[in-house]
Amino acid sequence: MDENKKKEQYRIGVAVFILLAMMTLGEYLIGAISPAWIAPLVGVAILKAFFIIRDYMHIGRLFEPEGENNE
Amino acid sequence: MTTTSGESVVSYRSKTITNRIGLWLFLLSDAFVFAGLLVSRFYLLGNTRPELNQILGLAVTSMLLISSFFMNRAETAASYGDQKGFSRYTFFTIVLGILFLIGVVGIEWPTAPFSASDGAAGSLFFAMTGFHAFHVLTGVIFLIIVYRNGKKGIYTAERHWPVEAAAVYWHFVDVVWVFFYPALYLMGTAIG
Repeated sequence: MDENKKKEQYRIGVAVFILLAMMTLGEYLIGAISPAWIAPLVGVAILKAFFIIRDYMHIGRLFEPEGENNE
Repeated sequence: MTTTSGESVVSYRSKTITNRIGLWLFLLSDAFVFAGLLVSRFYLLGNTRPELNQILGLAVTSMLLISSFFMNRAETAASYGDQKGFSRYTFFTIVLGILFLIGVVGIEWPTAPFSASDGAAGSLFFAMTGFHAFHVLTGVIFLIIVYRNGKKGIYTAERHWPVEAAAVYWHFVDVVWVFFYPALYLMGTAIG
């Protein structure tokens, strides 16, 4: 049971990493093609930050009621 | 149920909730300093940027991104009592953090075609990367401490707040770079 939960957590980590890697490559290409496109670059950065804060930093844990299992 | 230190799990969880709020408040206040630097960059440089090594920029960004991935795995491993996995992934994170520092401070700084006194672009570049690198350095030190304690078997599935704190701090450093990287390397026309 725990092993399955752990594997599920690892899978989410991999999915988020792939997403972040693709977005990083995307912003690099945007920067190379047209450095004047500031708005799309800001958009990608905000999106990347959102995924890191939600899935890696687990901001949701801040709002868990006391006594609830945090794992 | 008690932990190895004799403290009840419920009490430990309760403390962890308070600790989390404290850590996030600290990170929020720290974020304002980084935001100030970012705003300064746009105010002073506008649609221009310093001339920098693009490949190196992408390489160090990738290193930090991969380190975040391993840190996430290390924290997950610790939260399920997987000591070996925790040690392995934390070690990878530390190595990647050191490589990031070498890339920015050891390679980018000495090869940059400007100095900190060469106008706004130079000052901002060294201020932004310097302040961020200092956070990476403190993160690496924090991770080394957590790694050593983990090797001693201090952390369990129920009691691993320092690992979570180190992970959140490390990801925060990554989030800052998510904004600094395009602001310094990608946005605007390069000025020599």
